[in-house]
Amino acid sequence: MIRADHLSKRFGHLHAVRDVSFQVEKGEILGFIGPNGAGKTTTMRMLTGFIPASEGRAEVAGFDVFESPMEVRRRVGYLPETPPLYRELSIGEYLRFVAEIRGISRSQQIAAVGRVMEQVGLAGWESRIVGSLSKGYRQRVGLAQAIIHDPPVLILDEPSSGLDPAQVAGMRDFVRQLAQDRTVILSTHILTEVEQLCSRVVLINGGQILADEGIDEIRRHAGGGVRYRIELGGADPESIPAQVGALAEVEQVQPLPPQDGLAVLDVRAPGDPRTAIAALATARGWSVRAMERRVPSLEDAFLALIGVER
Amino acid sequence: MTIAWAIFKKELRTFFVSPLAYVFLGVFLLLAGFFFSMGVSLTGEASLRIMLANLSISLLFLLPLLTMRHFADERRSGTFELLMTAPVPLWAMLLGKWFASLALCVILLLGTLLFPGILAYYGDPDWGVILTGYLGLLLACSAFVSAGLFSSSLTDEPVAAGLIGVVLLLPFWVAGSISEMVDTDGLRSALRHLSLLAQIEPFNRGVIDSAAVAWFLLVTFGFLFLTWRSIESRRWR
Repeated sequence: MIRADHLSKRFGHLHAVRDVSFQVEKGEILGFIGPNGAGKTTTMRMLTGFIPASEGRAEVAGFDVFESPMEVRRRVGYLPETPPLYRELSIGEYLRFVAEIRGISRSQQIAAVGRVMEQVGLAGWESRIVGSLSKGYRQRVGLAQAIIHDPPVLILDEPSSGLDPAQVAGMRDFVRQLAQDRTVILSTHILTEVEQLCSRVVLINGGQILADEGIDEIRRHAGGGVRYRIELGGADPESIPAQVGALAEVEQVQPLPPQDGLAVLDVRAPGDPRTAIAALATARGWSVRAMERRVPSLEDAFLALIGVER
Repeated sequence: MTIAWAIFKKELRTFFVSPLAYVFLGVFLLLAGFFFSMGVSLTGEASLRIMLANLSISLLFLLPLLTMRHFADERRSGTFELLMTAPVPLWAMLLGKWFASLALCVILLLGTLLFPGILAYYGDPDWGVILTGYLGLLLACSAFVSAGLFSSSLTDEPVAAGLIGVVLLLPFWVAGSISEMVDTDGLRSALRHLSLLAQIEPFNRGVIDSAAVAWFLLVTFGFLFLTWRSIESRRWR
């Protein structure tokens, strides 16, 4: 449905996007992640045809973005980072205007406006002036604008930025529901959002793709898999790391700074070593405060991939 | 065409909900009233000659303020992205905006119909001359509006756009006075052709000069073409 093929964009000397290629299939929600200034917005703008690529090509819904821009525009719903709103208009006027420029026939405009207002939870708000709305409601109007022509492809640039937690949850449910019969690209830097919504992730930094894979694979890449955090107290805390490290079940022990007189260990093991460590603690008469299994989060993976030490 | 119509309606709607619209209308009518009474008391004629000539120069300064928001505001508020990612051809956008600004000019001019009304009440004005005078002014508006659209496409700052618009139009105003000071015949006639007042003068005498009509249309389409080029080229930067 969406194919980016060696896309590059230069603004003068700034190489904002370099040689970016990826594909999104129908029914998929692709998480497009990366730090601010990574090139996410520029890439999305190239996919919508808003700015032309310096090099490479892109295909959306079967049409070349550069050669058939109008065909692509008809099939894409786009929510830019700041919702593109006319503050002076009422919600109803604004959405009717969008319906008109989207080429929805006069007889269907009212129905289309009513339908999207219902969908995004704005029913009964037709006469409210857009400029007087809170950030969350503006975002809803922005989303309504993006889906009014029922597009097969949706490109959403940080749809949940600036929303409160309840609104964020609502937005996610809504995007999930929209994605059932559509193709969605969702850019964000909120990684829990990606975990909840997306099956695949493209991670971009400095204009280049660093990873394009499933979420589980990305996690596996980061920080070498599962680790255990163990907190033990004993008469001689200094010797604890070495004794734990001597266990057959344990692969590697990394002592962390002690807390409250307890030894704190970062343990890596092929299987779960906690029963063995507990047995050792009982035999030595140590106290056990914590034995915690830690799956690397997407945050860890993200930071590891963009090369930031935590 | 339906898209140009949608843009047209949107422009008028957003204009009339802002207080600026009414300030603008008020200032314009005040100026018109001033020029009208000045013209009548100076010449003692039942004509709008003085008022229309002075209004054409006032509009040269005022209309860029009216059009400065067009592209500058769309860019700043992000709505330009909406227009450029919806199936809106650039010509439809230009046409809608240009017609909307021209419609505002018509509304401004309709407001001044009060003054020929006063003339008709107290005297016997020549309606033919008044009509051609208004036609000339409307043609001038058309040229000013498209120069304003062009200046608005150059920058994201509405105020800067307004100033650029005035600067673009100034030569059309001063060309006439400069031509008086020039000795070379060729240059003088060239400058006189550039002069707004020289072009609008026949209309105020009741003459529809086809060369003058062509002159205004040329300036209008010239600036519309430049606007189109400027928007296209800015996409690449």
